[in-house]
Amino acid sequence: MDRQVECITRDGGFTLTFFAMASPCEVLIDTLDKRLAMLIGQKVAAEAWRIEDKYSRYQTTSVCGQLNTNAGTRCPIDEETYLLLQFAEQCYQLSDGLFDITSGVLRRAWHFDCSDNIPTEQQIAKWLPLVGWQRVSFDRHGFTMAKNMEIDFGGIGKEYAVDKAMDIVQSIIKQQTEAVMPVLINFGGDLAVNGPRNSDQAWQVGVEHPSLTEQSVMMVSIRYGAIATSGDANRYLLKNGVRYSHVLDVKTGWPVKNPPKSITVAAPKCIQAGLLATLALLRGSQASEYLSEQEIKHWVID
Amino acid sequence: MQLSKRRDVKALLTTATCALLGGAQASATESSSEQWQFDTAVLFYSESERVSAVEAIVAGQKSFANDQRLNVKLTIDSLTGASANGAVAQPNAQTFTRPSGNGQYHIKADKTPLDDTFKDTRVQLTGQWTQPLFNDYTWSVGGNLSKEYDYLSLSVNSNLARDFNKKNTTVSAGFSYAFDQIEPEGGLAKPFTTMAVDSFGTPEFDDAFAQIRDGSTEDKNTLDLLFGLTQVINRNTIVQLNYSYSDVSGYLTDPFKVISVVDQHGMSQRAIYENRPDTRTKHAFFGQVKTHFNNTILDASYRFMTDDWQIDSHTLDMRYRISLNNGHFVEPHVRYYTQSAAEFYQPFIQDDAMALDYLSADYRIGEMDAFTVGIKYGLPMSSGDSLSFRLEYYRQTPKNNGTEAIGALKDVELYEPVDAIIAQVSYSF
Repeated sequence: MDRQVECITRDGGFTLTFFAMASPCEVLIDTLDKRLAMLIGQKVAAEAWRIEDKYSRYQTTSVCGQLNTNAGTRCPIDEETYLLLQFAEQCYQLSDGLFDITSGVLRRAWHFDCSDNIPTEQQIAKWLPLVGWQRVSFDRHGFTMAKNMEIDFGGIGKEYAVDKAMDIVQSIIKQQTEAVMPVLINFGGDLAVNGPRNSDQAWQVGVEHPSLTEQSVMMVSIRYGAIATSGDANRYLLKNGVRYSHVLDVKTGWPVKNPPKSITVAAPKCIQAGLLATLALLRGSQASEYLSEQEIKHWVID
Repeated sequence: MQLSKRRDVKALLTTATCALLGGAQASATESSSEQWQFDTAVLFYSESERVSAVEAIVAGQKSFANDQRLNVKLTIDSLTGASANGAVAQPNAQTFTRPSGNGQYHIKADKTPLDDTFKDTRVQLTGQWTQPLFNDYTWSVGGNLSKEYDYLSLSVNSNLARDFNKKNTTVSAGFSYAFDQIEPEGGLAKPFTTMAVDSFGTPEFDDAFAQIRDGSTEDKNTLDLLFGLTQVINRNTIVQLNYSYSDVSGYLTDPFKVISVVDQHGMSQRAIYENRPDTRTKHAFFGQVKTHFNNTILDASYRFMTDDWQIDSHTLDMRYRISLNNGHFVEPHVRYYTQSAAEFYQPFIQDDAMALDYLSADYRIGEMDAFTVGIKYGLPMSSGDSLSFRLEYYRQTPKNNGTEAIGALKDVELYEPVDAIIAQVSYSF
């Protein structure tokens, strides 16, 4: 993949674009200091690529790839990986087991290619025993899971990268300038801002409607924090008029029923927003209610 | 029951996120900002026919948690070449004795006398610790050590800054105290005594040289007080205003400088050692504006300094950084400097002049103008490092402070300009 950062000059600042984690990524920086904008863009891209290389399940050399390859034995882990696993553990707990980063193996049975290719119960039953965070053990220095099990940071990786990149942006701004510099980081729809634009203006963000037929864009305004979107954008199966979402109930191995097509959640950190969106989707038709009950700001497309 | 459990999700998730990003933030700072950041530079300074210097600088900065910061800087420079000894050019050749008494040098007719044995290596180490103190206060403390063959300088400083108005306004106050000691080879010359020149290499010369020595070390103390105001005007403009007060006491004479005593025909009779007051009080006012325009940054400053030696100086400095599309930048630089002469400055004196308390012919405290034009070119490296090149031309033009040249002095250059080239390569990583 060509790892390059493009700089586009626009009114009031710069937009830096690059491609990472299978998504178009952009950094909007409201400044006239092009040198600093370029520096920020490069550091953000470098962080996105670092996290992609470290946690992509598609790269056998990544930490994730190595943990999967060496399933069945204890693997040494570093501090960052420990913290991510710890986070996954807490998400597993607080979702009553619905959020489980070992559920990726179910994708061997389910191919969400918009076809009507629904797997059989037997096919699902074959993989289901390999799902189960409760059969994983880890501490600060090592990680062990049963042979043939797999973990996948895909559900939190991009959002985590947004938050990490924003930390880096904040430290660069602090080092390089005394002035306020509004920045928005957007990794394929998961985004965070470091505060409002100048004159306390909100950022206007277009959240793409994931449906194939309705190519509309929903405008969302954000001044602080982050938003993340979860949905079955082009990832579903359709058979006999029933839409099978890519959101799987790890307990049954089957898709949850009637989730919204897309759900966008606002939270202080992108990883929180992303997780809340995923947890909401797992509630199926109750998604919006689930978020409303918790007084979490969200936008739903059914 | 179910509802309260769901409400808990938000709180639990917040805790989990803090553990992840808070902790990861610490590890990120370890990997990025908690690492040392270095600026390195090599600088060449070369005056035509005079001093040239090579300077190497390594500056490191390390940030710690809670916004604490340590800066250290090591500078090593090596100076070689010739510097004006203060005496005037003559229609005939002249001979001078080196400050150490270990040799003599000869100056051709019509040439400004330069002592060509100027050679020194200086090692300077500075350290500065900066940290937030409590709400809106930043405290900084530092020290400096500089050592040359015959010179030692030690200083300590401290500064307290307070932010107001959402950090848009910063007010600061600080002090610095320095102790300097000079111990020239061959001892210090007695003020106003005549340089021993004749019969070099004989016991008579050695006696004469010893007669005009006055101890081997002298020192001076400097107290600086600095008050500053920084104001963010808008997101593109920042203004800084400083006032500094400096009080220096002790040995302020340059033991290597002499002044020519001439007869009514302008012919040099002898060279006598200079003498300066043992106190000096300076006031300096500084103003700076930095503005970002579209793709450019203007940095303009003005400094006015006045002291009780009657030296007033004005410095105007402008840098204009132009960002290029490829992330490189070009920064032209112009600087203009002008100063009036110290009240005891004289390019020469006549042998029938009345005795004076203080006297110096050092062109550096005479009336002069100077200007610098230069350009800097910088480019970011792929790894986030940056490389820059600077090339500058500097011209110093000493001027007549109103002294009328007499006799032979009308035909020689009393105020010889100095040209210099400065080249610097910097690398930050």
